[in-house]
Amino acid sequence: MKGGGADDFRDSFFEECEELLEAMHDGFDQIANETHDSETIHAVFRAVHSIKGGAGAFGLDGLVGFAHHFETALEKVRSGEIEADYEVLELFKHCGDHLSDLVAAARDDEEVAQETAAALGEKLNEVIGFDPSEAEELPDFEPTTLDFGMLDLSAPPLPAGYVIAFTAHPELFGSGNEPLLLFRSLEKLGTLDVTCDSSEVPPLEELDPATCLLSWTLRIETEVDEVTLEEVFEFVEDCCEITITALEPAEGAEPYSLPDLGAEESVPFPEPPAETPDIAEDGDAPAGASEDSGDLGANHGEASADAAPPPAKAPAKQVKDTKEPKEKQEKQRGGGATIRVDLERVDKLINLVGELVIKEAMLSQSIAVLDLPSENDVSTGLESLKQLAGEIQEGVMAIRAQPVKPMFQRMARIVREAASATGKRVHFVTRGEYTEVDKTVIERLVDPLTHMIRNAVDHGLEDTETRIANGKNPEGTVILSAAHRSGRVVIDVSDDGGGINRPRVLEIARDKGLVAEDAELQPSEIDNLLFMPGFSSKAEVSELSGRGVGLDVARSEIQALGGRVAITSTAGEGTTFAISLPLTLAVMEGMVIDVAGQTMVVPITAIQETLQPRTVAIHRIGAQGRVLKNRDSLVPIVDLGASFQFRDEPEDLGDQVLLLIETENDRRCALIVDNIQDQRQVVIKSLETNYRRIDGIAAATILGDGRIALIIDPDSIVRDVSIPSDPTMQLMR
Amino acid sequence: MGIKDKLHVMVVDDMSVSRGLILQALDWMGIQHVDYCVDGESALRKLAARPVHLVISDYNMPGMDGLGLLEGLRKGRTTQRIGFILITGSTDAGLMERGNKLGMNNYIKKPFSPEALKAGIERVVGKL
Repeated sequence: MKGGGADDFRDSFFEECEELLEAMHDGFDQIANETHDSETIHAVFRAVHSIKGGAGAFGLDGLVGFAHHFETALEKVRSGEIEADYEVLELFKHCGDHLSDLVAAARDDEEVAQETAAALGEKLNEVIGFDPSEAEELPDFEPTTLDFGMLDLSAPPLPAGYVIAFTAHPELFGSGNEPLLLFRSLEKLGTLDVTCDSSEVPPLEELDPATCLLSWTLRIETEVDEVTLEEVFEFVEDCCEITITALEPAEGAEPYSLPDLGAEESVPFPEPPAETPDIAEDGDAPAGASEDSGDLGANHGEASADAAPPPAKAPAKQVKDTKEPKEKQEKQRGGGATIRVDLERVDKLINLVGELVIKEAMLSQSIAVLDLPSENDVSTGLESLKQLAGEIQEGVMAIRAQPVKPMFQRMARIVREAASATGKRVHFVTRGEYTEVDKTVIERLVDPLTHMIRNAVDHGLEDTETRIANGKNPEGTVILSAAHRSGRVVIDVSDDGGGINRPRVLEIARDKGLVAEDAELQPSEIDNLLFMPGFSSKAEVSELSGRGVGLDVARSEIQALGGRVAITSTAGEGTTFAISLPLTLAVMEGMVIDVAGQTMVVPITAIQETLQPRTVAIHRIGAQGRVLKNRDSLVPIVDLGASFQFRDEPEDLGDQVLLLIETENDRRCALIVDNIQDQRQVVIKSLETNYRRIDGIAAATILGDGRIALIIDPDSIVRDVSIPSDPTMQLMR
Repeated sequence: MGIKDKLHVMVVDDMSVSRGLILQALDWMGIQHVDYCVDGESALRKLAARPVHLVISDYNMPGMDGLGLLEGLRKGRTTQRIGFILITGSTDAGLMERGNKLGMNNYIKKPFSPEALKAGIERVVGKL
C-alpha cells in the first residue's frame, strides 16, 4: 500500500484471518451437522468476504481471486439460489482448506501451486453455473457531492452532564465486580458526585457481606456522550439496573455544531450545484444529485427552521438496549472482547509470578523457624498472601491457555485428506473443543496428534467393504475429544474400526526382533508394542504412512511435554489413544526427596507408590542388579544417589524409601531415596536455558529455602536401567 | 485551513483490520478529525449526539449493516444530511439501487487503495 506503512497491519490481518477461517470452518461444520441457523451461512460468507477485503488491501491477488470466486458461490447458497447439499458442502470445505493454505502461503511469502485453485475454481463454476471472473458488471451509480452550505450538522446543545441511577443486583459482588472501580473510571471522564443509598442494608447480624444491597446515584458533569458512559458499565450490565438521564444543558450553552466547511451561497439541495463553491477547487467533482434525493430536500426546509431547537430533556434510556446486538456479535466472534498481547510479555509475567511463589515459600519457611505463637498476624497475613499468589498464578497461566478448537479444526482437515487418500468415508466428531490448554502445549501437540489421526483413518478404520461385510456403518467414525480431568488435560483419539490386530502385531514384533520369540505378552503389552521404535505394522506402505514417522516419535513428543499416552483397543469395536497432559509447562506437582544429602524433586505423575524396603521382597540379579517383586512382576531397583554418582549404592536398604515409578511404555523402576520431605507445587526452571542438558534431569526448581533442587526425568532414568531394556523382562514370573 | 483540517469523519467497520486500513488511509490524507465505531447501532447513537460531516461505513457488518445505518441516519433530524460513503465488496445492482434510494453519496469497492478511497471521498466533499 502506497498510502502508509501497511506492514503494521499485516500481522493483525493474518491473525484476524485465523479467526475468520475458524468461523468459516465452524459454519461448515454446523451446516454439516445440521445445527446451523439462518445466520450461519451469512457468517461464513462474511468471513470469506472479509478475508478477500483485507487481502485486496495488501495486494494479495491470488488470495483475492480465489476468495472472490468462493464468495460468489457462497452468495448463491446464501441467496437460496442453490442448495448446500452434501457435495456442495464437501466442495466448500475443500475450498475452505485451500483458502487456509492461500492465507498461510501469503503470510509466509510462499508460492502455492495454481492447479488446486484452478481445479476447485472449475468445480465452483459447475456449482454456480458461470465464471464470475468473466462477468464483473459495473453498477449504475452516480456519486453525489455534499453541499456543505446546506449541511446542517448542529445538534441540540450537549447536556451539562448526566445522572446515572445505578442499582446493583444482589449478586454483583459474586460476579467479581467492584463498583468502586467503575466510579473511579467515571471520575476520569468528568466531575463526579456519588450518593449511596444503603437503606436496604440489614443490621450487621443479618448482613451477608457477599450480597450487594446498595444503589447509587451518580451525578457527573462531563463533555463525553452517553455512549461513552455506557461503555464504563459494559461489564456489569448483566448484574445491575442502570438508567442514564441527561442533565439540562448549562445556561446559555451553545448548540453542538461542526465547523462550517464552506459555501457562502446555498443552493437548494435537490438542484445539483453547477460548481461546488470553495470545497471543489478544481471543479472536477461531479455534481449529479441522485434522483431520489428529493425526500431529503423536502425535509430540508423544516430542518433548518428548527436548527437550534429548544433543548429537550433527553429521554432516559436503558443501557440494556444495546445488549442484544452485542451479545449476538460476541456469539459470532466466538468469545468476548479480546486483546492481542505479545507472548513474551505473558511469559515474563509467568516467570515473575513463579519467582513470587518461590519468594513466598522462602518467606514462609523463614517465619516457620521464628517460633511465633500459633495465632499471629504474620502467619494470617502470609496465609492470605499465599492464597493471593496462588490465584495470581492461576490467572496468569490462564492467559496462556487457549481452546483446542483451532487445532481440532486442523485435524478435521487431516481427516478429510486421509479419508480421500484412502478412499474411506469418515465421519469426524470433535468434543470439548473449548477445553483450554497451554499455548505451547497446543502447538507442540499438532504433530503427534496429526500422526494419530492419520493412523486412526489409515490403520484404525477398516475399508468400506470390510465394514459392510461386518455389518457396520460403511462410514467410519473418528472422535477427537478433549477434557480436563484431575488437573490434567486428556485428549482422546478414538476410531470405531476393527481394533488392534494383536496376533499380527505380535508376529511383526517378533519378526523384527522387538520381543523374544517365546515371550508371552498381555493384550495391553501387545498394544504398547505399537509405540516401540522401529515398529511398523504396515503390510503395504500407504501413501499416508510412508513418512518415516512412527507412533514412537509421536509418543516421545508427547512425553517431552510431560504427557503420557495409553492405548485401549477392543477387537471389532475400535481403538482409543488417550493422551494425558499437564495443564502447564511452568509448574508441576513434585515430591521433594533427599538423596545422599541432596534435595531433588520427582514428578508426582510418575510415582505409582512408595514402599518400605523391609516390606517387599528384594532379589539380587547378577553382581549388582537388584529387583523387587511387585504384583507378579520384577521391577529393577535403581539407587538415585548412585546413578548420579553422589555415592556408592548402599548395601542395606533398611532406612531408605523406595519410590515405584512408571513411565509410558509401562516400564517401571523403583528408586532408592533416603527420605521424602514434602509434596508441593514447584516452579519449573529450564536447565538447558540456564546451564545445559544433563541426562536424567528434566529441569530445576528453587525451593522455599532458596536452594536449587533438580527435578529428575523418570523416563530417562528408566531407560538407562539395563535390565528392562527388553520389555519382556518385566514378565518374568 | 483546507477541508481536510475541518472535516469530521466517522468510520464504521466491525473488522479491526479493514477499519485500521481506512483510518490509516484517512491519516495519510491528513484528515484531522476522525472517530470510529465498531457497529451500526452505536454509530447511529453517537452520531445523533455528535454529528459529523461524513460517515464511511462498511456494508457487511453483523447486526445493522451499512445500509441499515444509512437508513437510520436519514431518519434522524440531526443526522439526515450527513454524507455517506459505503465500503462494499459487492456492487450488486440491487444493493446499489437501495443505496441510491437511501441517499448514499458514494461507494468504494473493496478491495481499495488509499488513493481510491481519497478519490471517492473527494467526489463527495471536494478536493481535500
